[in-house]
Amino acid sequence: MKLKENTGYKVFLVVNTIIMILISVATLFPFVYLVAQSLSSEKEIIAGNVTLIPKGINLKTYIYVITEGEFIKYYKNTILYTVVGTTLSLAFSSMLAYPLSKKELKATKILTPFVIFTMYFGGGMIPNYILVVKLGLNNTMAAFILPMMISTYYVLLMKSFFASTPKDLEEAGELDGLNKFGVFMRIVLPLSKPIIATMTLFYAVMYWNNWFQAFLYLRKDKWPVAYYLQNIIRGAGANDADAQQVATNIRSCSMVLTALPIICVYPFIQKYYVQGMMLGGVKE
Amino acid sequence: MSTNSINREWVPAKKKHRFRRHIGQYWQIYLMLLVPIVYYIVFRYLPMFGNIIAFRKYKAGGSIFGSQNSGLKYFRQFIGDKSFWRAFKNTLILNFTYLLFRFPLTLIFALLINEIRNLHWKKFVQTVSYLPHFISMVIVCGVIKELLGTTGPINNVIVSMGGRPEQFLSIAKYFVPIFTISGIWQSMGWGTILYLAAMSNINPSLYEAAAVDGAGHFQRVWHITLPSIMPTITTLLILDIGGLVGSGGAFEKVFLLYNPMIYSSADIVSTYVYRMGLGSGNYSYATAVGLFEGLINLILLTTANFLSKKLTQSSLF
Amino acid sequence: MKSKIVSLSLVASMLLATAGCTTKETTVGSTTTAPDKIDTSATETEQPSLGYEFGLGKTFHADQPTTYSMFFSDANWYSMQPTWKTEGIFKKIEDITNVHLDLISFDSNDYMKNVTLNISAGESAYIIPKIYDESAFVDGGAIVPISDWVEYMPNYCEFYNTYDMAPDIRTITRSNGKYYRLPGMLEQCLLNYTFVIRQDIFKAAGVDVESMEATWTWEDLLEALKKVKAYMVSQGMCKETDYIWSDLWCGSESGQSSGGNLLKVMGITYDVNAGWAIADGIRYDQAKDEWYFSPTSDNYKEFLAMAARFVNEGILDPGTFNQDDDTATNQFYNGKTVIMSVNQSQYANYVKKCEEVLGAGNFELYATIPPRSKLYNYSTAGDVRLENGVMISQKALDELGKDGFIEMLRFVDWLFYSPEAYTLYKWGVEGETFKYAEDGSKVLLDGYCCSGLGINGKDGDIDIRKQWGYAGGNFWYGHTLAEMTDNYIPEVKHFVDSNFNNREKPAIAPGIAPNDDQNEQMTLIATPLIDEVNAWTLWFVTGQKDVEKDWDEYVKVCQEKRCQELVDLYNSIYKGAAKSS
Repeated sequence: MKLKENTGYKVFLVVNTIIMILISVATLFPFVYLVAQSLSSEKEIIAGNVTLIPKGINLKTYIYVITEGEFIKYYKNTILYTVVGTTLSLAFSSMLAYPLSKKELKATKILTPFVIFTMYFGGGMIPNYILVVKLGLNNTMAAFILPMMISTYYVLLMKSFFASTPKDLEEAGELDGLNKFGVFMRIVLPLSKPIIATMTLFYAVMYWNNWFQAFLYLRKDKWPVAYYLQNIIRGAGANDADAQQVATNIRSCSMVLTALPIICVYPFIQKYYVQGMMLGGVKE
Repeated sequence: MSTNSINREWVPAKKKHRFRRHIGQYWQIYLMLLVPIVYYIVFRYLPMFGNIIAFRKYKAGGSIFGSQNSGLKYFRQFIGDKSFWRAFKNTLILNFTYLLFRFPLTLIFALLINEIRNLHWKKFVQTVSYLPHFISMVIVCGVIKELLGTTGPINNVIVSMGGRPEQFLSIAKYFVPIFTISGIWQSMGWGTILYLAAMSNINPSLYEAAAVDGAGHFQRVWHITLPSIMPTITTLLILDIGGLVGSGGAFEKVFLLYNPMIYSSADIVSTYVYRMGLGSGNYSYATAVGLFEGLINLILLTTANFLSKKLTQSSLF
Repeated sequence: MKSKIVSLSLVASMLLATAGCTTKETTVGSTTTAPDKIDTSATETEQPSLGYEFGLGKTFHADQPTTYSMFFSDANWYSMQPTWKTEGIFKKIEDITNVHLDLISFDSNDYMKNVTLNISAGESAYIIPKIYDESAFVDGGAIVPISDWVEYMPNYCEFYNTYDMAPDIRTITRSNGKYYRLPGMLEQCLLNYTFVIRQDIFKAAGVDVESMEATWTWEDLLEALKKVKAYMVSQGMCKETDYIWSDLWCGSESGQSSGGNLLKVMGITYDVNAGWAIADGIRYDQAKDEWYFSPTSDNYKEFLAMAARFVNEGILDPGTFNQDDDTATNQFYNGKTVIMSVNQSQYANYVKKCEEVLGAGNFELYATIPPRSKLYNYSTAGDVRLENGVMISQKALDELGKDGFIEMLRFVDWLFYSPEAYTLYKWGVEGETFKYAEDGSKVLLDGYCCSGLGINGKDGDIDIRKQWGYAGGNFWYGHTLAEMTDNYIPEVKHFVDSNFNNREKPAIAPGIAPNDDQNEQMTLIATPLIDEVNAWTLWFVTGQKDVEKDWDEYVKVCQEKRCQELVDLYNSIYKGAAKSS
């Protein structure tokens, strides 16, 4: 009986490994496809010879995109928006999450529903659009950042984390003469590395990938790279058929370069966001 | 002052006095709240009141709250608008199909990952499966278009087997599968995080006790793992159901992938709101549609959250 | 003439959803500000102390350095470079006229959106070029009714009077008899979008397009293509299941989800709105003097049936209506397809790309003209001889005062309507970028090329458009036949002439001027209605629906989506306007 069970389990483990390999391959396939195209020559792509293995391998496309195209300009915009946006988001989200985590604070009774209600109901697309335009934010970095600066969901994740930091440490800090703000800065935040790391990643990814705000509000010179990508994917000829098309390899190369920083960063923060999601994810 | 914070037994005093004392004690905390509260008022609550233009005609460049009463005119108009109801139906179908496949697959995937014994391999699989979650929708949809294009790899396979290339993105019946499959590709890995977290919280002694009782491996999964993560499963399921009408999450993807040939299955409420509102300038009308969707959403989410609290004593927010 | 439809993006189209609005042509008379000839005698007398020089055949020059603000539509495939201001077009304009243009530039994709927002916020520039439809601005008071002032503009008046522009101008005249845009004016509509074929393969298959094109119909084109395909299959150049036509400008993006250029061109020949030109589907019936919904007309059915045959019979790739443009062009460049749409500026580019992929000498291209339908012999080059144009902001009048304003108008007149300026912003400076050949034609100097003019040079040549902003879309449009065609390579000249000789210009439709509420009502009906029409049109054309079997269902859907209400609205506005004038 026991032996039979073991055989069954061993078979399962093999099958499981195969399934996992298949899932990993399926997950990575589109990226490999993109990379193959970005490394191939335009001629081979036009001839339809490229699928997973690059033909006519060269780095010319990358060199061109990085040195000559407009790509870098938009890439710089994205970096700026991501850095400024993430900084603001982190600062104000934690400044909201921390007070919400303090049960003894009287205002939380009103504030918590005040914040949470926005997850149930919102302004909708049109009123939000009108608001941003009316505030005169059109074509400013603020129009890109402000509409999504504080995510209620992320605030609640942070709040759960803050609520779990030991109270006696905070009290000890106050006994040592720190004021409330000092306690937050010097005691709570240093203890909150996992959630800060997680939030940094989440907010940074959000800004890095966003294109819709740019689509609504920004002029070309202020575009982030994600919206530039959207433009070359859909083809520049939407309004002007005289427009020259962006070649497939340049498009693929731009996509690869855009995804690259995130691909390089997220695995290293994995243990933090797994922990962060765990703590804040489901409230008992 | 700092000693006050641990002194919780105040001498009963006048309310006003107590209030002052509270503020005096916590003013720095309240100061921290200043910017976030202003932010919420301006960027969350003001647009909420901006919905008033569903009842008042909005003119470009005019007041944010509309310029002239129109009553329920715009609501009557969209109730009689077939395109709206089609979008409503599509939203439900799209969300439901997606949920139907994504939910069990995510759970099974989590259980399978949990069975991996080699920790490095396990971490690798997790890392890889999280990847699509972090990729911009623009790139995801760009890749979908490349893969499904006339000269893309999928059509290449079809052609090499003697078939004619299929226009996947311009035939209505393919949209729901494309949306669902790519959605699972994007979110299945990420969706396992909460399950894996719940599983890692299961006390190992439960498994040991079961093993002693002679329970086989699969029996342990069935009798221990699943029941232990049941509250997580229930919560996530109920909340997913609560989100069935909302199309916020699907908007970007549908917007980037659809075209009029497949509106019949791809047009959802939020894309319809976009086209009618920002696309062709009927701000008030589109706001009325958006408001309607928002209200249904509000009711569903409230109910779902209430049920979740009732059934599992847990909720997401 | 370049059939660029007003962008569907955002606010722009919201405000611009309806076609240009005019009163009926019956208003010709002393009250109209679009008279048959503009009388300029009163303002032409020499005024010595103006502080600037101007006049027909003269260069505008201000005595004092002057600055005017101007919006600028920055095309993303030749973005403005700093060199444009330091040594290129704007520097030259300043050198010649002593006028500095203070440019406020927006990306061309979002240009109308931004112009609209800035004008409604009171932040308008003085000069607002590249306007396709000014309807949205007429009531606001932010834009000068320019018709009150054109008498001060000698070059404009000269062109207007010489080429009898009055009937065309009346199509942009509003219900108050004024017009608000200085349009680009053309002596003639010239064919821009047409088809290019692989002449070598056609000839080998025994099809002589050159001799057919004068009278060929879409049926003839289909037969020709079938013959070519049979030949290609027999030669092993393609399989029976391959398509030999995969077109660009028709995909869901560049075709604006309506079937784009191909269906537009084909639609015109059947006297229906389709593709890029679908708008709200409403069309004017000259015989009955009323408006009707063209997508449910009998002509539309015939048009659909014809278009569907190209797909059904294995010639046209149904992917045409969904793909990226480069998917289409790639297949043409590598010889998989033998026919494709082309326009004036792309022809030279196709030749270059084919040379890269197929090798020079291995192919021969021929640009033909679009076939006609069995019903009409219409030219697809357009009917109204106007292009996008320039609006002048009221702010300019308020801030400059009347005299300063007239000075600015005379600068604008020189910039947009004088032959001297036309040559400058199209070709650059004689001796620097171009020279006159012995026969008087203009040629670029060695080492320069210009993709915008359809002149491809050698590798390493400097593109005068990218480098200095010449041949850009903000200035260069309209003018006389000689001026418009001075950059044509022989192939382009050939199809433009052939079209002119073999096709006839359709009659000009009148306009209507809806008020705000009517406008809202129209777009509310038209947006979902046209979505539906576009979807069904593409289903019919790609064979997902059958024209014979499913036509009635389609008409029913259109009726459910209230197409009749839209027609009634048009007719009541039209009749109302007719009555009041």
